[in-house]
Amino acid sequence: MAAVANLSSGGGAQMKRAIGELLIILLLLSVLFVLVYPTAWIFIASFRTPETMFSRGAHVYTLDNYRALLASEFARSIFNSLFLCIVSVLASTAVSVVAAYVFSRLRFRWKRTLFGAVMMGQTFPWIILVTPVFILFARMGLLNSVSGMVFVYVAVSIPFSIYLLVGYLESVPRTLDEAAIVDGCSRWQVIWKIVFPVMLPGVVATATYAFLLCWSEYLFALAFLTETEKKTMPLLLAGYFGENVVEWGHVMAGSALTTLPTLLLFLPLQTRMTSGLAAGSVKQ
Amino acid sequence: MSNERRFIVTMLAPTFFFLICFYLYPTLYNLANSFTDLSLFGMRRGGEWVGLDNYWELVTSPDFRSVLFNTVIWLTVIGVSVRIVLGLLLAFLLTSRTIRKYRLETVSRVLLLVPWATPPIVAILIWRWMLDPRVGVINEALMWTGLVSQPIAFLATANFVWPALITIITWNTLPLVTLTFMASLQSLPDELIEAAEVDGATRMQTLRYVYLPHLQPAIVIMILMSTFWTFNNFVYVWLTTGAGPGLYTNVMATEVYIKGFIDGRLGYSSAVGVVMAAIMTAFGILYLRIIAQRELKEVF
Repeated sequence: MAAVANLSSGGGAQMKRAIGELLIILLLLSVLFVLVYPTAWIFIASFRTPETMFSRGAHVYTLDNYRALLASEFARSIFNSLFLCIVSVLASTAVSVVAAYVFSRLRFRWKRTLFGAVMMGQTFPWIILVTPVFILFARMGLLNSVSGMVFVYVAVSIPFSIYLLVGYLESVPRTLDEAAIVDGCSRWQVIWKIVFPVMLPGVVATATYAFLLCWSEYLFALAFLTETEKKTMPLLLAGYFGENVVEWGHVMAGSALTTLPTLLLFLPLQTRMTSGLAAGSVKQ
Repeated sequence: MSNERRFIVTMLAPTFFFLICFYLYPTLYNLANSFTDLSLFGMRRGGEWVGLDNYWELVTSPDFRSVLFNTVIWLTVIGVSVRIVLGLLLAFLLTSRTIRKYRLETVSRVLLLVPWATPPIVAILIWRWMLDPRVGVINEALMWTGLVSQPIAFLATANFVWPALITIITWNTLPLVTLTFMASLQSLPDELIEAAEVDGATRMQTLRYVYLPHLQPAIVIMILMSTFWTFNNFVYVWLTTGAGPGLYTNVMATEVYIKGFIDGRLGYSSAVGVVMAAIMTAFGILYLRIIAQRELKEVF
């Protein structure tokens, strides 16, 4: 709007600038359209009947897709996914926070090598772990079990979580925990009572990444969860989009329900990431 | 002092328990299997020692050469370059003066997060619909504009399948790259750019001598991270094309799966896995050097 106002107001240079601005805004709008359209479409289509989902004419809106989906085994998988991810994220965050603290604050032999080993975990191809871990799990009776999957999800998320948390810890002043030590706090108390609250925004961001990782994980779930009542949402979802038959109602409603939690988690993260540590309680 | 040592060992024990059970042991297990003819259907019998046969077969197989080409060139080099270049352009666009002037920053940043918050499985399903020749919106749009007269089966046509796959991966992973570049751009002081303008630098010169040197660390880290996220990824290719049409889009991760779980040749599949891990270890060492120098100096 303002660009248009500029157009009418004046001379050559101003006109040129206004056109430039208009082009930039049009470019922005088209980029944002491409970025948002696919996800937005899922939510719209999930409320249409499969028959009118793709039609150019009138669409019939309904809740039947969700009703049918929630009456199927999918309802169970929502619970499975949520439970698995929440337990895994809590465990992996706890393990990562203490490890990141030790790597960031303490000096000890082999530190570089050990930290390097953790970081190398990020570069690992998961696919090559499937067979050995499958055999290990089969021997220990961990196939189709929550504890087995939590083990997997903690293991895959700690390298990147430690990397992020060590990064956040660098911006937390050391004087803070040194002062607490002088005051007679133990290291354990320093971690949870002093450092943890200060780095909470970083912990939240890290936990969100870990959650997205578990929530959308497909490969290990495919290999280690074979019983229908144990399966997670991505597994069932992939099954609805078959080679020949596509259950569009299930695909759209299931996709919407799988995307909603991560969308709700990510949008607030945006403000957290910017208002993060610099302006936080550290400076007081 | 010994108290502190006990604390360090206790705090790192859980992390290393996971690393050893989940990464080290399976890697050694794979290495051992790669010298045998272990079969999925004869697990109890175990595998016979075959020396370097699996590796010899791999080196001489033309199939493996195309798998290597697909993984390195298409998936990694082209895939990562597209993501980095588009990420840079988008970061410049979203931090541009015009966007700031009309206060479109926040809303565009929130919308930028949407593809990232969409789980890969959902991204794949929705793009498979969009690219579908019968009901997909892309074909519908192409037909409507008259650019094509016949719908294109993007994911089943050799000429289109790689660009289509890269589009899907780029769409899903672009936000993270863009946000990283935006954060780097925002830490660049405005005075520096103004000074360059006062000195009469052209736009290209400002880009070359002010922006790019400042962005370089972020670009290097994003190239490395994207490389191992993409190189190792199984889900995008497997769930989008199933390595097809035929084996046209077969990559190393899908090759490990196909050879191991479909053909049942665990020995050979392990050898492919060992090669994959070796390539990624070389990358990992490079990555460690760079984060040691730049990012996490105080740890190292």
